[in-house]
Amino acid sequence: MNVLVWLAAILFILMVLIGGKKGVRSFVALFLNFGVLLLTIIIMTVPNVNPIILTLIACTLISCINLFYINEVNRKTKTAFISTMITIVILLFFIVIVTEKSMFQGFGEEEIEEISVFSLYIGVDFTKIGASMIIMSAIGSIVDVAISIASSMSEIRNHNPFISRKDLFTSGLGIGRDILGTDTNTLFFAFFGSYLGLLIWFKDLSYSFGEIVNSKVFSAEMINILCAGIGVAIIIPITAWITAYFLVKTRDK
Amino acid sequence: MNVIVNILKKMTYKQIIFYTILVLCFVASVVFVNHNYSFYDRPIAKVIETKLVDTAEVTDEHHNKDKLFTQRITAELKNGEEKGQLIHLTNKYSSSGAYDQEYHVGNELFVSIDKNTEESTELTGSIKDVKRDKYVLIIGWIFIFTLLIVGKKQGLFSIISLAVNAALLFYALDVYVNTESTRLLWICGISAILFTIISLLLVSGFNEKTYAAIVATLIGTFLSLFITYLVMGLTSENGLRYEEMQFLTRPYRMVFMAGLLLGSLGGVMDVAITMSSSIFGLYEKNNNISVKALKTSGMDIGKDIMGTITNILFFVYISGSIPMLILYLNNASSLTFTLSMNLSLELARALAGGIGIVLTIPIGLYTSIFFVNRKRAR
Repeated sequence: MNVLVWLAAILFILMVLIGGKKGVRSFVALFLNFGVLLLTIIIMTVPNVNPIILTLIACTLISCINLFYINEVNRKTKTAFISTMITIVILLFFIVIVTEKSMFQGFGEEEIEEISVFSLYIGVDFTKIGASMIIMSAIGSIVDVAISIASSMSEIRNHNPFISRKDLFTSGLGIGRDILGTDTNTLFFAFFGSYLGLLIWFKDLSYSFGEIVNSKVFSAEMINILCAGIGVAIIIPITAWITAYFLVKTRDK
Repeated sequence: MNVIVNILKKMTYKQIIFYTILVLCFVASVVFVNHNYSFYDRPIAKVIETKLVDTAEVTDEHHNKDKLFTQRITAELKNGEEKGQLIHLTNKYSSSGAYDQEYHVGNELFVSIDKNTEESTELTGSIKDVKRDKYVLIIGWIFIFTLLIVGKKQGLFSIISLAVNAALLFYALDVYVNTESTRLLWICGISAILFTIISLLLVSGFNEKTYAAIVATLIGTFLSLFITYLVMGLTSENGLRYEEMQFLTRPYRMVFMAGLLLGSLGGVMDVAITMSSSIFGLYEKNNNISVKALKTSGMDIGKDIMGTITNILFFVYISGSIPMLILYLNNASSLTFTLSMNLSLELARALAGGIGIVLTIPIGLYTSIFFVNRKRAR
């Protein structure tokens, strides 16, 4: 039997045992996400498709799966969805500028040996693909922060129905700050884990500090981590503001 | 203006000093990184003029169409003996830019200077790489300012946590690289314990809920590592393709397992601290709450978070391979071959991380209840 099949089976059993119906939905959502991601990558290979627009569509689908399928369609998930989309658009603008300026697209000289058998002139735009790679790596945590803030805020409003918009916004920011630390941690360690090989490589080949910082591979990964962290931070005020706005608006009607 | 004055009035003396130092650091580092040419041994040249001389369309053996361009670049050398002289470079690039790119006026490049054999006065050379340090630095500052503005104190703590953990990782790898006999997995295991203690203390301070979360994280992470090890042993690693694992100078299995351990650590910590702070929150609201009620609410919270946190790991791991997957697919590799070559390790890592995350829900619940009971007994 295949390792992946075994691990997937163990994960499924654990999710069902601990999460019940919601566990099943979480597991199915993982597969749906994988499907969307794969489909996006396959469409990206077509030269005339703009990877940025494709990423926006994929992010919409992924947020729909993670918000409306795992949870239900309700006020909480709707506000979380709107906040996620706004954050993604802002982040995309920022990241497209960053990728164009810092020129880390495609492959670095450390990788060129192993891909030397391939033709590199394949007609797709690697700069834009680099930008969409960063967005995709952050989408999971952005959705996580959005739903956590939106659901805690509507809890607060249920307990204090006459809370003002400003107070609601401030408490939303407070909740966001509490999860900022743990969520950035999750991201950082996931990145550390996947770049461990690269770090050992730099040490073994005794790269100087200047060579590491300027190399395409390292700067790409560093910028990826930092941009994902920026995404997790800016969704906090956005979600807090939008949720406060909608919760107070629906009450005043 | 009034807003700024108000903000300044609200700030304490310490905060004003802190922000002043921060802004000074920012300005100093940006000035430094724009004038640090003399610190590099390799020659650096700044592009002052570019001219497109040739355009050609190419089609490769897989019918991919691309455009090739050739540009002549005149650049000014910024360091070394030839400082201030002009150098002439030729750059070939494609419109896809997988391993090349167009250069614009103002770009700074690492170059190598050709030895002059003839009596020509003009320097020529070839482009080695781009000077990227200033972009990394500026994005680093944007990251720091965003986290500080949004997160205030917690933002500062997560920046400290990132810096300390990164420094610790670098040190641990130094130990590993410089000592022949030690095992990577052991070093990573010990660092994992330190990472957990440092990060969780920074996230929620010295108190019982942090201790409960630390215990739960360590049990959860090592249990998931053990399960993965067992599965890999039982199946004799069928289906894992190490061939395309990048940047290898060391035994690949060790690097993979150590990466798996580190990668799942963050997600497991996230679950553990969420579980323990909500259990302790319930207990603090109502000191007489029954263990049964704690269990039910704890499990409800766990169900809510397990899907989204598994997703975080999943997207981080898979999206890193996007450029490679596209390169494979456009070179007429079949989908199954492409996926098994590039994604088997990433998927294994994501699934193992997911197992750790889900297991930590009951582990976190019971360790928190244990700590709550101990507090009650006192």
